Amino acid sequence: MSARRAVPPAPSRRPVPLRAVDLAVRIGPLRLRNPVLTASGTFGYGDEYAHVVDVKALGGVVTKTITLEPRSGNPPGRIVETAGGMLNSIGLENVGLERFRHEKLPHLRALGATIVVSLGGETVAELERLLEVLGHERAIAGFELNFSCPNVAKGGARYWAVPRRLVRTLARLRPLTKKALIAKLSPDVTSIGDLARACEQGGADAVTACNTFAGMAVDLTRMRSRLGRASGGLSGPAIKPLALARCHEVARAVRIPVIGSGGILDARDALEYLAVGASAVQVGTATFLQPDAAPRIIAGLRAELAARGIGRVRDWIGALCGDPLGEAPARPAPSRRKTT
Amino acid sequence: MSAALPVWRQSRARVVRQDDRGAGHRWLELEVKSPFAPPSPGQFVQLRLPSVANPVLLPRPMSVASVVRSRGALRLGFLYAPVGIGTRALAGLGAGGEVEMLGPLGRGFPLEHPGTPVLLAGGRGVAPLLFAADVLARRTRSGRARRSAVMLFGARTRAQLVGLEDAHRRLAALGGRLHVCTDDGSLGPRGNVVQLLERVTPGLAGPIVLHACGPHAMLKAVALWSLACGVPAFLAMESMMACGTGVCRGCPLPRSASARVAYDPATAQSLHGNREWAMCCTEGPVFAAEDLDWERIE
Repeated sequence: MSARRAVPPAPSRRPVPLRAVDLAVRIGPLRLRNPVLTASGTFGYGDEYAHVVDVKALGGVVTKTITLEPRSGNPPGRIVETAGGMLNSIGLENVGLERFRHEKLPHLRALGATIVVSLGGETVAELERLLEVLGHERAIAGFELNFSCPNVAKGGARYWAVPRRLVRTLARLRPLTKKALIAKLSPDVTSIGDLARACEQGGADAVTACNTFAGMAVDLTRMRSRLGRASGGLSGPAIKPLALARCHEVARAVRIPVIGSGGILDARDALEYLAVGASAVQVGTATFLQPDAAPRIIAGLRAELAARGIGRVRDWIGALCGDPLGEAPARPAPSRRKTT
Repeated sequence: MSAALPVWRQSRARVVRQDDRGAGHRWLELEVKSPFAPPSPGQFVQLRLPSVANPVLLPRPMSVASVVRSRGALRLGFLYAPVGIGTRALAGLGAGGEVEMLGPLGRGFPLEHPGTPVLLAGGRGVAPLLFAADVLARRTRSGRARRSAVMLFGARTRAQLVGLEDAHRRLAALGGRLHVCTDDGSLGPRGNVVQLLERVTPGLAGPIVLHACGPHAMLKAVALWSLACGVPAFLAMESMMACGTGVCRGCPLPRSASARVAYDPATAQSLHGNREWAMCCTEGPVFAAEDLDWERIE
């Protein structure tokens, strides 16, 4: 796949005024005021942090994954801190579709934020049912399909790591909504590029790369897993180089926009993801460290781009996508852009 | 929907002092400016070192041991033992050092519950109960409460009764009595806090209410004793946490059968919760004995 970017950002460019930096991006039918979203499972249902974060100023809020029926989640331990990261084994604990509709959606309408609802299902029929109910809901801007939960026995990352299943599933879900359909993929697969292509073929508007990596920790005193299940999902800065490589792989594999996710703590991390071809990023574990992590990253992104003389974040996206070694000469802008 | 907005805030706090309290324990005092709301006994804050000095990823939940208001700011005291990487780094902070603080978080002890308060402390679990004694003393002085209080303080050895002088002083201010015990008999009777409780309660007039903090084994024993005797008891629990605000769902404790039946999804504390698990950070860390399934708690 050829490089999609125009001119590689030249370090000699003059800085641009902060306010002049245009951070807007597009994810399929979705227009985001900036490329920073919260990652599913780390920002509740959208209103829990609303008293400390102006959620309207975020690129978007991806909610906790909703399933058809309520789920009580996995037994403790659910959280283990590891070197530079954390393991979680939450198990998709959520209030279920009905409580989400009646208790959460009214709040989300009032927030004025761009809300992307994460949906989880053990079968395509469950996802269909969720989209039948929520697909035309005005308070919702789009949906992220959680094809990648490492912490459930059924309908998790392993189940969905089959390209044909993803093509078929997306083809059945696509007619149910005009809103953005984003597929979130697991990194623990043979080829994340193949899965991303399957999602694109099935009609997804975008792909999120990626969910947590399967990980373990052993309690040597009790001689058992430190989590309630054998393994959990690793997140945080420990996975950033791994997830960045997956993001790069996906960005080269598909023409639909890619949302990068994994270990982003600051604006420079976000810049790396955007450079390897992500049109937007998700901030997850960082919010547990600092609830205002996402707005800090947005402000930092603006400053970093301004200092580099980049007036539009869209000109930075994919700067390194086709040329990770930085060896190719600058070339003119291609006629077709991934994001506008 | 009756969910009240959470009042916690994200703030910078400055170290006012930090010193050694013996037996490997530290006393840390942090100053934080308003609009940080004053915590109540049993509530906690999340502390995180600025990234340069921070060897760990997640913030650390810390129970508050004292609150003093001074000119638009709050001084929060913490009694802790630097036993892990995170708390050891915290112990390295001197006066003027900065931390990030989230709070106040969780639900504290219901000190207004009817009955004479009996404060049960195990080891450094004394921290929130020192604070509780302060608040009870303030209420007594202001005439809002006429009850006295009793504190039972147990530890492995005399040296491990960290904060003992503090406890003496605060109980004296309250007109209450302090009883101590140690596992090795080096101070007070040999034995644990529950044995001390059985020894002391017959001498107390009128109904009592227990407020306890310590290791889970002790809290479990206190809870089972209270349930058997029909005495109300409130226990400050611990858990590994990530966010501390109910968002990550990472700190579940098993509800008792009766609590599962009584579970009401419309209350603020069970905000996006479920029938099976109670989150330690938002529904706790202080729980009524009858609300948890003690057989499933380690």
